Order: sequence, then structure tokens, then C-alpha cells
Amino acid sequence: MIELYAITDNPGPPLPDLAPLGALSVDGLAAVYGPASSGEVTPEALWRHEEVVEALMEDRDLLPVRYGTCLEDEATAVRAVAERRADLAVALDQVRGAIELAVRVLLADERPAAAGPELSGAQYLCAKARSASERESAIRTLHEPLSILARASRQASPRAPSEPLRAAYLVDRPAVPAFTALVSRLQDANPRLRLLCTGPWPPYSFTES
Amino acid sequence: MSTAIAEREVALVDLVDRLLGGGVVIAGDITLAVADVDLVYVSLRALVSSVATAKEKELLPRMGDAL
Repeated sequence: MIELYAITDNPGPPLPDLAPLGALSVDGLAAVYGPASSGEVTPEALWRHEEVVEALMEDRDLLPVRYGTCLEDEATAVRAVAERRADLAVALDQVRGAIELAVRVLLADERPAAAGPELSGAQYLCAKARSASERESAIRTLHEPLSILARASRQASPRAPSEPLRAAYLVDRPAVPAFTALVSRLQDANPRLRLLCTGPWPPYSFTES
Repeated sequence: MSTAIAEREVALVDLVDRLLGGGVVIAGDITLAVADVDLVYVSLRALVSSVATAKEKELLPRMGDAL
């Protein structure tokens, strides 16, 4: 079994030597792969995978492949990539020269929610309305200005009422300092919120053509 | 909780979002379906503070910009 890491241009720079990697040529694209991992999902396994993709990202444009994409052998992988070749080439062009930054926003003063069953109907509706309004406000004051500096952006549904924004931004490599400076200014202007910004990530959220 | 562990945990949430919920989907034997991502969070959160060897994904502020 082999495991795919990324789709990139072919030919490309030499592969990094921090893992046993190979590249399968598919009509102008290359699928970078290695031996399949055990399949157990641990933080170490995820970081190891990420480390390989980030090493590739240092000197080439790429589309990261969903974690855990394992195929029988090289021939199967070539067939699978070839089937989607046109979409992949378009998607790769869309991320060329850019990286992904993650921004999550948390309410700094949020106390743990009161025990659910004790909330009355009215309290529940009130909390729900408040979280919707926090979300609208975060989109207006944070997401919109950040989006202006990004080539593209995606919002994911927040996982908790205390998280009004969870977003990903595709940012041109030279624009990263301007983006992080804006995050910093927005943090200063919004002390009630905690802005968590990580990256640069491979463009995991921007792989659709 | 130390700052380093807190920051690793912040980055791990973003990592899980990306590796398990993003990326190109190519027909194959995907280990996890998107629906399982929340379960992975639960089990990883329990693990994360004991992970000493995981590479620390640095937050941007630590790369030079005061946040």
C-alpha cells in the first residue's frame, strides 16, 4: 500500500529526503507518495505527515491530499490521479504562489456554558441569538477586512458558541507579513476576543477547482 | 497549562481541521470519513498534553510578529 501526500507540478525540484518519497508522473502533474502508514490517527502521525507536506511546500506549489489516502500500488494511484487530472491542474493553478493561514476567534471572557438541561427555553433562545450576533459581528469586523488581503477565503462552521469565527485564507506568499500585521491590529482593537492565527499551512482548504 | 502546550493544542485543532477535513479527495482507501473528525478531536484532546515529541507548529506571533 502507498499513501499520497500531494499533487504538484512535473517536473519539479528534487524531493526532500526526510522520508522515503517517490513521485508518480501523470501528464504534467506529479503525485508525491510514500509507504502507507499504520493507519492509527495520533497527533504524531498527523504532524509527521504535515512535516513532509510542508517540506515539499518550501520550494514548490502543491495541492495537499486528504490525510489517509492510501492506494493499492503505484499503478492504481496513477489511474486515480489521471481520472481527476483536469480538475487537479485547475486547482493547482488557483493556489500557485500562495499559502494558507488559519484564523479562529474565541470570546476571551466566555465562561463554561451553564449545564444544558437547566437552561429554560427562553434562556436557550437568548443564548442562541447572542451567539448569532457575535458571529455576524466577527464576520463584519474581522473576516471581511482579512478577506481583502487574501486571494480567497473559506469559513467553516464554528464548533462552539464561544467560537464566533473559524476561517481559512489563501494568501500570496509576499502578502503574509501584511496579513499577520492586520491580525495583530484587529486583536488590539478587539480585546474581548482572542484571535488565533496559525500557519503557513499547505492550502488544505483550497483544493477544489 | 504551559504556553507551549496551549499553543501546540491551538495548532493541533487547525492541523486536524486541515488534514482530516481538507485536501484533495482522490478515490482510495481513506482512513477517515469527514463525519469522524469530531470523534478524532475528542480522542486527540485527551492525548495532546502528553505528547512531548510532536513537532510544535509555531503560532505566527512566535515567528516574529507580536500579537
